[in-house]
Amino acid sequence: MSTDAPVHVTRTRSGKPATFLEAIAEALWEEMERDERVFLMGEDIGAYGGAFKVTRGFIERFGASRVIDTPISEGGFTGAAAGAAHMGLRPVVEMQFMDFISPAYDVLTNYVATSLYRGAGPLPLVVRGPVGGGNRGGPFHSQNVEMAFFHTPGLKIVYPSTPTDAKGLLKSAIRDDDPVIFEEHKGLYRAPHCRELLPQQDHVVPIGKARTALEGEDLTIVTYGLMVHRSLEAAAELARDRVRVEVIDLRTLLPLDEKAIVASVRKTGKLLIVHEDTRTGGIAGEIAMRVNERAFEWLDGPILRVTAIDSPVPFSGELEDFFLPSVADVVTAGRYLSKY
Amino acid sequence: MSRDEIEDLLYQGYQGRRLEEGVRRSGFLQWPERAVGIDTRSIVIARAMMHAVDGRGDLCCPGPMSPGPALAFGATPLEFLRQLAHRGTSPAASRAGGLSWTDLRRGLIGWDGPPGMMTQVLAGAALAFAQRGENRAALVFESERALDTGGWHEGLNFAAARRVPLIVVLVASGSAGVGRVRQIDGVARAYGITAVSIGRDSHAGIFATVRAARRRAAVGGGPTLVALEGGPGDDRWQSQEEFASWALTEGHVIEGELESIRRAAAAGVDHAFGRIVKEPGPEPHDALAAVRIGSPPLRPWTRLKSPRPYAGAEAPMEGPGVN
Repeated sequence: MSTDAPVHVTRTRSGKPATFLEAIAEALWEEMERDERVFLMGEDIGAYGGAFKVTRGFIERFGASRVIDTPISEGGFTGAAAGAAHMGLRPVVEMQFMDFISPAYDVLTNYVATSLYRGAGPLPLVVRGPVGGGNRGGPFHSQNVEMAFFHTPGLKIVYPSTPTDAKGLLKSAIRDDDPVIFEEHKGLYRAPHCRELLPQQDHVVPIGKARTALEGEDLTIVTYGLMVHRSLEAAAELARDRVRVEVIDLRTLLPLDEKAIVASVRKTGKLLIVHEDTRTGGIAGEIAMRVNERAFEWLDGPILRVTAIDSPVPFSGELEDFFLPSVADVVTAGRYLSKY
Repeated sequence: MSRDEIEDLLYQGYQGRRLEEGVRRSGFLQWPERAVGIDTRSIVIARAMMHAVDGRGDLCCPGPMSPGPALAFGATPLEFLRQLAHRGTSPAASRAGGLSWTDLRRGLIGWDGPPGMMTQVLAGAALAFAQRGENRAALVFESERALDTGGWHEGLNFAAARRVPLIVVLVASGSAGVGRVRQIDGVARAYGITAVSIGRDSHAGIFATVRAARRRAAVGGGPTLVALEGGPGDDRWQSQEEFASWALTEGHVIEGELESIRRAAAAGVDHAFGRIVKEPGPEPHDALAAVRIGSPPLRPWTRLKSPRPYAGAEAPMEGPGVN
């Protein structure tokens, strides 16, 4: 790593724990130093350092040709990123808020995702950015966007829950030959409880592999992102009722680690799916169907889900708290299932 | 234009015409209506770029319905016909339709998406050329309908802001009716880029105009917007016969050479027609295999056999449907 690195990308080198946001910044910095084909595009990511300051100091180190401040035109610059990827570069596009990815939906689903299918070759392209509620951002700065893309063959979707995974998975995403949507929950960015000492070496986490965040015997919770932490809190509470919960952190939504899910359900016989995304058309439906196909005979109860309610993300705190899934919701569902 | 370039244009022009005639005679292939008539000039425009076959030349997106520029970038009549007939042997294995496909070694990039999207994509490709300091440029053909779309303006704005080596050809669509390519001076002024119009220009004139734009783009002069005036059925521009006549008059070719070029082009196209008639359509298992890295190409098991309830510890963890 160069000596002119800003503080927020040097935590690991200094032997200090890193926040989720710092882990993201470290991954970007290290990949840009490792591979000169990697470059960044996004709104205000250069001189301003990005809305969340992930890329603060990057333009001074890597220059304006590799840290590109774009016009406010998500479709246009995502399309341009696709062209650059065709030519052998490895663009990392930042959506200032992932809610703003919708103008790029056209090019991502119709062009980028179909490239390999059409015989136009792989498109190594990462679109990353902050997602999720709890910050009183209202309907346009709080969405989870995974299911808008989950139905599109040709894309990968990554949604880490820890700094260690965020760094390792982002490095994998940048090195991947497929286009990757990379979601970062804002609630984790600077969360004190999320600081971790990251591995010193070149840390890469494979895309498509879930992890067991907590081992248990009585009930499986499948979840991802911020909800991993909510589920672990709920599991601790359920443990007081002698319910041993297994928490599966998906880490990657596409491709979905079906083996890990099925193996856990076959062990516990009970499945609760928790996601912050809204209920209808959420990933819980797909997971439930896969378990139905692969582990129906092992189920000892209905598959349940705890999700946000079907509504745009509300602006007021009271409404948003009601809208989002809570630890209490997970505990309630877990107790019901455990007694079933 | 060099003698080689003139011969290429004559050859590719004859190829294009023979293809068109053959498709109309075939009774089972359909030629996109709007491809007719614009190809001669679009071949010239594409030929003015710097084509290579090692992936280091210019890049061309021929547009959705115009095979001409692809001929100039090394595509063959056989590839066109395989695409048109949805043969399993077609460059895109019949997974995608249309007359354009991607072959980055030849500098061809296939059309996909609504009007305007490919201007975004080619702007990004041109950005890569500029970043690496390469003497390369990108060319994209768009229907003038792209002017209606936000996507096109976003792509052009990006290209103009970064001054990338991009040439955008707006082809008068005819059916749009109002000849909006005439508005491009104003559009270009707004984006601070150069605009040129091509109407009843000679092939040599078109070639010189585009070659100059390409030279300017490659040294940091930024994008050029080219308006290709006219429309289907509009015969104001130089025809293949006029071009051939000009080549003879100017002494670039002699009568015998011209006839040889014409015969060679026709023979190649006729041979291609003969082949595609016998070629099979796509085989789904092959055509749809491995289109996603790291994902099994299997069909859902429900398409292969009846569901079989699993019971007992021997139930498979792997198999069709399990990623």
